[in-house]
Amino acid sequence: MNTRHLLSRARRATDPAQAARRRGAGLVVVLATALLAGTASTQRPQFYPDDPISREPESQDASKAQSYQRPDMYEMLYNLFVTSEYKPSGTRARNVNTVDEVPDSSWFTNRIGAVAVTPDQITRGPIVGQPPDPSKWVLIREKTSGVHPGFTARDAKGETFFLEFDPPYYPQGATAAVAIATKIFWALGYNQVESYLTTFDPKLATIEPTATLRRPSGARTPFSQDDVNAILEGVAKNPDGTYRVIAGRLLPGKVLGEFRYEGTRPDDPNDLVPHEHRRELRGLRVFGAWTNLTDLKAANTIDTVITENGRTRVKHYLQDVGSTFGMCNELHEWDLSWEHFIQGDTTRKRLLSFGFALSPWQTVPYEEYPSVGKFEGDVFDPRKWRPQTPTIAYMELRDDDAFWAARRVAAFSDELIRAAVHTGQFSDPVAEKHLADVLIKRRDKIKSIYLTAINPIVDPRLDAKGRLTFANAAFDAGVASGTATYRASWSRFDNATGMTQPIAETQSQTTTIEPPAALPTGAGSFVAVDILVDHAAHAAWRLPLRTHFRREGDGWKLVGLERVPDGRPAGANEKTSKR
Amino acid sequence: MWSFGLPALLLAAALIATPRTVAAQDAQPGTRAAAIEQDQAAKVPSLKPYQANAGERWAQKAQDILVGGGVSWHPFFESAYSGGGFTLGAGYMHYVGPYNSLDMRGSYTFRGYKRAEVEFMAPRLFKRRGSLSVLGGWREATEVGFYGLGTGTVKEDQTSYGFERPYASALLTVRPTRRFLMLRGGLEWTRWAQEPADGGQFPSVETVYTPATLPGLNATVSYLHTQGTVGFEYRTSPGYSRRGGFAGITGHDFTDQDGDFGFRQVDYEVIQHIPILREAWVVSLRALVSTTFEKDGQEIPFFMHPSLGGGSNLRGFSSWRFRDRHSMLLQGEWRIMVNRFFDTAVFYDTGKVGDHVSDLDLTEMKHDVGFGVRFHSPFATPLRVDIAKSREGLHFVFSSSAVF
Repeated sequence: MNTRHLLSRARRATDPAQAARRRGAGLVVVLATALLAGTASTQRPQFYPDDPISREPESQDASKAQSYQRPDMYEMLYNLFVTSEYKPSGTRARNVNTVDEVPDSSWFTNRIGAVAVTPDQITRGPIVGQPPDPSKWVLIREKTSGVHPGFTARDAKGETFFLEFDPPYYPQGATAAVAIATKIFWALGYNQVESYLTTFDPKLATIEPTATLRRPSGARTPFSQDDVNAILEGVAKNPDGTYRVIAGRLLPGKVLGEFRYEGTRPDDPNDLVPHEHRRELRGLRVFGAWTNLTDLKAANTIDTVITENGRTRVKHYLQDVGSTFGMCNELHEWDLSWEHFIQGDTTRKRLLSFGFALSPWQTVPYEEYPSVGKFEGDVFDPRKWRPQTPTIAYMELRDDDAFWAARRVAAFSDELIRAAVHTGQFSDPVAEKHLADVLIKRRDKIKSIYLTAINPIVDPRLDAKGRLTFANAAFDAGVASGTATYRASWSRFDNATGMTQPIAETQSQTTTIEPPAALPTGAGSFVAVDILVDHAAHAAWRLPLRTHFRREGDGWKLVGLERVPDGRPAGANEKTSKR
Repeated sequence: MWSFGLPALLLAAALIATPRTVAAQDAQPGTRAAAIEQDQAAKVPSLKPYQANAGERWAQKAQDILVGGGVSWHPFFESAYSGGGFTLGAGYMHYVGPYNSLDMRGSYTFRGYKRAEVEFMAPRLFKRRGSLSVLGGWREATEVGFYGLGTGTVKEDQTSYGFERPYASALLTVRPTRRFLMLRGGLEWTRWAQEPADGGQFPSVETVYTPATLPGLNATVSYLHTQGTVGFEYRTSPGYSRRGGFAGITGHDFTDQDGDFGFRQVDYEVIQHIPILREAWVVSLRALVSTTFEKDGQEIPFFMHPSLGGGSNLRGFSSWRFRDRHSMLLQGEWRIMVNRFFDTAVFYDTGKVGDHVSDLDLTEMKHDVGFGVRFHSPFATPLRVDIAKSREGLHFVFSSSAVF
């Protein structure tokens, strides 16, 4: 079996119609590939000497990438009426390395789950610079993104920040959500905006003489004090007359606009993997469910062109993660996170039943705090969680993607979650505790659902003598228990042709399995081991985990791991909603 | 299994035929990183910027209009007078300041009702506490229904009339506290020229009535109309709301410049939306009472009487079905949220008209029931379709506004 990871040349049509057209041709490609199996000179080997890679190369100059912003309205309508009909391809994530992990890239940096993240680190999160100096704000234009009101302003040190206020019905809530979510998503591996909780004192603010505001007429006219007042009248005010704001530092580099959740940038030579097949973008379905990041639209992302170490590349950010926890566009969005804005099945149900067929959001109990909003963990089911609109990447989530994401969520200890939530600087400790408690509950739900949905073996290793050891992530997370039998099927593996030759099968009641006698010992030789788990309560664990090891020196190095074969759509996830 | 056909077979043949070419063109990379870099280099010749597709281009235009201003031509579906039938119209809006606009619009209905007007809107006065509308225009209706006065009239007695009306008005709305309290004052000059009906299947009103039996028949009346409203507005929007309500009293004074048809009118209106199960259901209630008072020695022309019947009140009856000096309307809707942009509703309307205020009791009320669908945004209801059933039959309502 020759798995062509994303980092190979194989690419798929991202457009469903195009995918359908290619389906027939795809069969022929398989046949032709079989005919050509003997022509090794045209095939890349399954494993290269540097596998598994830990960083995605970005070798080409991307300085010619150009800005483009798709209309929000188009994206919303497209996602509600077209994307929602998208049939997941079952394609294995294509940016994973040969051991099924996501290498570092301009999209993602392995942090929690790959390395230890301390409470101090998560408290700092993406922040590398100094906080703004709020002793003076110069307003330079309106805030152009996000649902909550704000300004673009320069602080006393002349740095540009995007200021966002709390709505009056969520005092501290919107600003805290940004502060906390940027820490969590940074720890999860995403590029985040440096965001600081600070204050805005209108008495210390001035308007830049050249500042303008776009009016309903379409014209830009001078930004006036009345424009400032109009915003301040609609936001939460501190008792001392100041305002609590979250200040997001202006990103470095040239801003290109959003990234898309499907296809590749046609102007970025390093962008080879269709975005819907990037695991970290698929994984946002799990991370979004955990944190309730309901506004997953592309407009809340941003690409920038930066030059680092003499190389110009495109860097991808989750720019706005403020629609998290219980924050809504307005106070009465009860269905948020339970349904897309328009969802066919619930629309039909309510239409035909005159609303008597209740939806969960109509009855779910919330323990509401003004600074937290509607956020709960008792009824929460990550498989039924819904963002405002679906994306193709959201639809393409497979069980192995969810497993990968769930392991990262599971890596957040209670202490780490409480440290992240503490950065929200809530004045009400009960609200702070509640938010952390709900995140812990939701984390545990994610663990119990996604870590048990497929074969949960992780960290397989062969010692020098060929003894196989591994861990059971479901057992270790405490979300499964009982007696399991682990069975290993051993084969020799030809890296040039992809052919395997069975050796033997061994088994164990523990997470250590003895090797068969005839294991190859030559330097550079490969062995493939398929490991399955017999467990009375988890039939899905019988789908074998395929591993490949290469003999290096006196030991074996894991070079290949495949949890779910290509082309197998999600099973653990509830079928995606149909219009 | 061969259904993939000739193209696929050709592809297979091509693949079989090309290994040497591929091998010759691509040096085999020695590492994963080199393999990826090779693929990245291969993309360079085909780099191009994002190209908006047709859908994106149209969406951008629509978004620019809705969000960024610059709207000019727009549809206009308000008819000259209720009962005109399906209405088509258009308007042209031009901004005369950052917020102030001038809108020129006109409409025409299947029954030949005509409307043409110009409105100046200043939506941000007094530090965003007030708005001003100055309106001038002309309307003509050709066959407005008249069934006699009182609730006891019968449908078969329908007559019709026409009118022509130029008007000029100014309406100032102020919210001193920005929320809740709403004060409105207006001044209007208008001239109602009641005319015989033009076409239609019903006799013209002057063939059945005389000026002695029907005040205002064939009259041309010039009014100076002043009005004032005190209201408490706690809905999210008059155009669409799932909670809150409105309570208001409006007083009108119609001064006839000839001193024949002057009168006063007071309207009392209460609206309450009661959300149930987190706004998935909303029970919406409305009560509207209109009372009129003749000025000394003057009469109220028949075409100025309060009335019931039509798409926004007694929906199971024809427009202007019941008229008299006073009216009372009670409406209840059970609204069901189907999704974010679509509601259905089951409704009940009841009401009556009377010659005296004391007639406005709960006896001999006229009723209808119905079902409706509404497409809405958070603040407006651009399409409402209701079907209502009364003892006088089925009536369909197509409207571009909320019923209340």
